[in-house]
Amino acid sequence: MIGRIRPLVLWSSGTRRLVVGLVLVALVLLFLLPRQTQFLLQHLGKPVSDLIGVPLTLMADADQRFHDWWNQYVALQDINKQNRELKSKIQELEGKLNQLREQALASQRLAAILDFQEESAMATLGARVIGRSASNWYQGVVLNKGEEDGVAVEMGVITPAGVVGLIVKVASSTSIALLITDPNVAVTGLVQRTRDEGIIQGTAEGYIRMKYIPPLAEVKKGDTVITSGLTGDFPRGILIGQVLQVGELEGNLFQTARVSPVVDFGKLEEVLIILSPRSTENLESIVGALTPKTETPQTP
Amino acid sequence: MKTILFISLIFLLVPFQTTVLGSISPFGIRPDLCLVATCLVGFLTGQVHGFFLGFFLGFAQDLFSASDPWLNTITKAGVGFFSGLIAKNLANTASHSAFAVMILFSLFSGVVFLVSSRMGMDILEILHGFPAILLPQALFDGLVAVSVHWAITHWAAETSNL
Repeated sequence: MIGRIRPLVLWSSGTRRLVVGLVLVALVLLFLLPRQTQFLLQHLGKPVSDLIGVPLTLMADADQRFHDWWNQYVALQDINKQNRELKSKIQELEGKLNQLREQALASQRLAAILDFQEESAMATLGARVIGRSASNWYQGVVLNKGEEDGVAVEMGVITPAGVVGLIVKVASSTSIALLITDPNVAVTGLVQRTRDEGIIQGTAEGYIRMKYIPPLAEVKKGDTVITSGLTGDFPRGILIGQVLQVGELEGNLFQTARVSPVVDFGKLEEVLIILSPRSTENLESIVGALTPKTETPQTP
Repeated sequence: MKTILFISLIFLLVPFQTTVLGSISPFGIRPDLCLVATCLVGFLTGQVHGFFLGFFLGFAQDLFSASDPWLNTITKAGVGFFSGLIAKNLANTASHSAFAVMILFSLFSGVVFLVSSRMGMDILEILHGFPAILLPQALFDGLVAVSVHWAITHWAAETSNL
């Protein structure tokens, strides 16, 4: 048995009561006005997260250096590096292949150049994964880009291979992205072969599934699932994964498919944040190019 | 000195939890070090300190978590307060008591997060959270807490003998 350690903060009991009272009032306000207090908490939190961001970045760098050292000099030295490069190359090529396949399909359907540009022209921002969400209950990653870099909530996050998730919280220099495997994320998806749409959602088990597939859709194992571009966060044609298994009808109305994501979320290091899924400048120039010009009579 | 320790905990524990701890988490489950620190501070120094440390640690943790921006703040403030209250009424505050209290509060906190993060989902998905996250994390938290408690009490005993 041990003796009790003396109180740490030497406040008088009056001050202490006042502070406890203020905190309790804050908690009551939180329940009575949840939206307003959440807004206030987020704004109050920004300077604090900036302060915490400093040791966080330092620790992330130290952690990264240790990992690099371990992987490059201790564990299998060059082979590991080569393997990583090859894997990254494969992912990049798979992403490119998928984009090309999507382009070909778009051409076959006599889609105009305008549509294609609308789908592929997007402004992105590179970011580094510096940590994991501070709670086991949410599958999220901490990114080293924030509000100062133009990042905002609900922006899509991708890698060259495919979809990663969505931005859910933004501080000045960091942001939190919730992975697509988290049950709280939903993205509109499209089966590339059959053109059937559905909702892609994470599950508690850590895989993803496609819900609300039409009952007559002939979706089968191995089909590629891409983003449909219906919601504003992702343009059409970004790879999500491949169908592993098609389930029974959900309430006899829709089919559900289990999808294997293309991105290895355990090894995420760099990602791209989609700042603008559609580049309006490009769109305007294409519209301008495609619009037949009316000839104006020239005056001598 | 102790105030500095509290502030250091707030500014270092959350970065450690999000960066380094992610690399050394067996089976993808990490102990919630902020919860362990809050519970132990409440347990060893009383409910007021537990409440304040929990409140600020939870607030900092909320900033770097995908959860609602108040969930950790409230949960940890509550854990700090009630762990202090329990310790006050315990005849024996040895390491095994700290282990039991830690497991109890980790389970409580886990249920709050389970309900919050899986709201509106299938009952199977909610139940899946118990064996997948809640129970292993509670055990993990308990083991970390008992180790830290043992180290603190032995260090305190040795320094008092000097």
